[in-house]
Amino acid sequence: IATMEDYDYLFKIVLVGNAGVGKTCLVRRFTQGLFPPGQGATIGVDFMIKTVEIKGMKVKLQIWDTAGQERFRSITQSYYRSANALILTYDITCEDSFRCLPEWLREIEQYANNQVVTILVGNKTDLAERREVPVRRAEEFAEAQSMLYLETSAKESDNVEKLFLDLACELIREAQQNTLDNTDRAPVPGEGKPISYLSCCSVN
Amino acid sequence: ISAVEDLTVAGDNARRLGSFAGLTESVLAAACSRVGQKVLHLDRRNYYAGNWASFTFNSLLSWIQEYKAQQEMPSTESDQAWVGKIEEGEDMLPLSSVDSSIINLEVFSYASEESEDEEVVTPSVANSFPKDSEAANEEPSGSSVEPQHSDSPGDRTQGAAEPPKQETEPSEACKNRQMPETQQSNQSEESDKQEQPITRPAEAPIELNKRITYAKLLKEGRRFNIDLVSKLLYSRGSLVDLLIKSNVSRYAEFKNVNRILICRDGRVKQVPCSRADVFGSKQLNVVEKRMLMKFLTFCLDFEQHPEEFQGFSEKPFWEFLKSQKLTENLQHFVLHSISMADQEILTEEGLKATQHFLQCLGRYGNTPFLFPLYGLGEIPQCFCRMCAVFGGIYCLRHSVQCLVVDKESGKCKAVIDTHGQRISCNHFVVEDSYIREEQRTKTSHRQISRAVVITDRSVLSYESDQQISLVTVPPLEFSSPAVRAVELSSSSMTCMPGTYLVHLTCPASGSAREDLAPVISNLFHVPNSSGEEPMQGTEKPLALWVMYFNMRDTSGLDSSCYSLPSNVHVCTGPDASLGCDYSIKLAESMFNQLLPDEEFCPPAPNPEDIIYDGDGAPGEGASFEETNHAERSGPEGEGQPQENGQPSSESSEPAESTDSVAPETNTESKVQISPTEE
Repeated sequence: IATMEDYDYLFKIVLVGNAGVGKTCLVRRFTQGLFPPGQGATIGVDFMIKTVEIKGMKVKLQIWDTAGQERFRSITQSYYRSANALILTYDITCEDSFRCLPEWLREIEQYANNQVVTILVGNKTDLAERREVPVRRAEEFAEAQSMLYLETSAKESDNVEKLFLDLACELIREAQQNTLDNTDRAPVPGEGKPISYLSCCSVN
Repeated sequence: ISAVEDLTVAGDNARRLGSFAGLTESVLAAACSRVGQKVLHLDRRNYYAGNWASFTFNSLLSWIQEYKAQQEMPSTESDQAWVGKIEEGEDMLPLSSVDSSIINLEVFSYASEESEDEEVVTPSVANSFPKDSEAANEEPSGSSVEPQHSDSPGDRTQGAAEPPKQETEPSEACKNRQMPETQQSNQSEESDKQEQPITRPAEAPIELNKRITYAKLLKEGRRFNIDLVSKLLYSRGSLVDLLIKSNVSRYAEFKNVNRILICRDGRVKQVPCSRADVFGSKQLNVVEKRMLMKFLTFCLDFEQHPEEFQGFSEKPFWEFLKSQKLTENLQHFVLHSISMADQEILTEEGLKATQHFLQCLGRYGNTPFLFPLYGLGEIPQCFCRMCAVFGGIYCLRHSVQCLVVDKESGKCKAVIDTHGQRISCNHFVVEDSYIREEQRTKTSHRQISRAVVITDRSVLSYESDQQISLVTVPPLEFSSPAVRAVELSSSSMTCMPGTYLVHLTCPASGSAREDLAPVISNLFHVPNSSGEEPMQGTEKPLALWVMYFNMRDTSGLDSSCYSLPSNVHVCTGPDASLGCDYSIKLAESMFNQLLPDEEFCPPAPNPEDIIYDGDGAPGEGASFEETNHAERSGPEGEGQPQENGQPSSESSEPAESTDSVAPETNTESKVQISPTEE
């Protein structure tokens, strides 16, 4: 099928983590190159898009934020459903946001896709003097859960680019691996389509 | 940072609306939020969608246990005195804390209880299910010793209420968590300590011919998404139209229903409905094919030929069908599987239903129906997401105790939540089950009979074992209603590979079991005891697990059935019909009543059309470039999404938000997006 798309890969990346750890700031730093001052939700924006080039391939990243539903721990299951990758975020200056990680992992396990790539991100390294979660502890936790781990500062733009690019590389690697493995696979569950793309075969 | 504290802030701003969570409520909440109303969405449950919810197998078991606990120890309505919160000139109107919308719940398990010790571990480590010896013994209760293994919503409640103790390191708490291994699937001898790591299979290394044990159902529990309400989406029905119009469709994925089946005389047959089906059908002879085609062609524009049904306008549809020189076989097809009519339906209504069916054919596939991946319970959540994106505040496990009614105006001016907090509101939208008997002027209810069956094969095997089918079982007695069954395969992401999930629904005449058990034993092999081998040569699918329950059908009720303040709006439903149209139309009419001057669910701006201008200097402000979306085609490359509403350029943005997306008509224009200050 001929496609007019302007990318080689499209990945859906979903952010989770406690309120106030800087999820939205990470997304906006990466997609818009800015650090939004002040608190507050962006009304009416569902997800952000950035197309990056990796090894000559155009990779379109669709980055979804929680729409504030994490505030009272009321994220909808459907939020996790078709994510290719999850960025599990905590605030290095907030012990509490780190202690909630197992709960987040439990939700991820429940509702996310089997092959989802999860990366653990400790944000706000610019506030290192107020650090409550030692690097080593986070590293050990990430390792035990077989997650990638990275510390970032959305404010200083530290490691933000790296976070998304690493993730994109990993997703490409997995996608290519899957294509190799998939050659003789039985019917794939979940070949569902967005409503607008279901084929319009005319039968009548 | 207690939720309560936060909510006070939220509550003060939530001028508009409290709301609870079925499909109608969610759509209404999304619609109000979309046009700038402040919405606070509370739910006493710990899951979304109320009676529209879907559950994993394990969380359904917990839900059943909670239900039974409630039956054994019925909590009485307690009128806690929130006197301190009530001011002079105010009355208190308590809400019901007991949900009695589900009754007659019964569960039967026929799957073998034996453990899975003999299970073969597939060689590939990444794809294996190392056996989980505990799974067989695992009590399906919410009080699992290791919350990490439990799906129980109860655990999540607990977790949310009391964060892990200070001394508990996450690494400790998570030692045994079953994680999808991202890359290093061969390492981690650490997690072997107490239990083998359970790697989630890439794709179902399940031996299809192997008997499915109860332990297996538990172990694979998360692959199930079992809906309490079973409905399909008519491809030209109100819900599909709304999903497309509002852009909420981006939150869900759908599959076509592949087959329409009918069960007659204990045999399941495919119903030919499209032209291709009719001509290709092996069950119809040439004469029948011609008859059916002629009849269906007539139905497509029956309004043009009033002479054809003259004299039948006051008569039932089935009488008209009888008069139409259709064989008995064809009459059955048309009445039960195409018009989905009951016996009383009048001719014109029956013709309209048949026409609607035919019009829905071919929009997305060769049946008129779509089904959402992961179950119908996703749909209310999609609208909740939309509501949240436009500023709606969501709070599960948090309910309203009573309404505060202003004596003078007779209106509800605030509510008092379960923490004793007062939250003011202009309108209050609530699900029927929260209304106490005292506030009802009509106390009898219709009921819907439901059954959920997990089986080991399809009722009609076909080349592909990944079909989604609608099965109609016409009534044995003339007066009773037809039973509708939706058979879902694992490709719908609602059951584990190797099983089928069958939802049966009919308007209740007795208890769900009385109504549906005969149909179930007609369609399936129901063993006498669990683990019993099916009889040799039996073709019927084996029923592994069966659940019956009745759900209250409030769809016949309207505002005259409640004595409540005029700004308290009760959402009724779900109804017993196959489509979702009742609930969507109700939401739309409630919206028009609340906000007569606003548009119902205008398209949300499509982020796909707002592309970051990569050339812009970083840090110099939020510039977005709107691309010319008219030239875009779908990611699947399957052609133009014709139905997809273009994001409206004219700003129907939240009136109160100072910010936000305000695309100009010029496609070259830059769009500023800035955060709202709270």
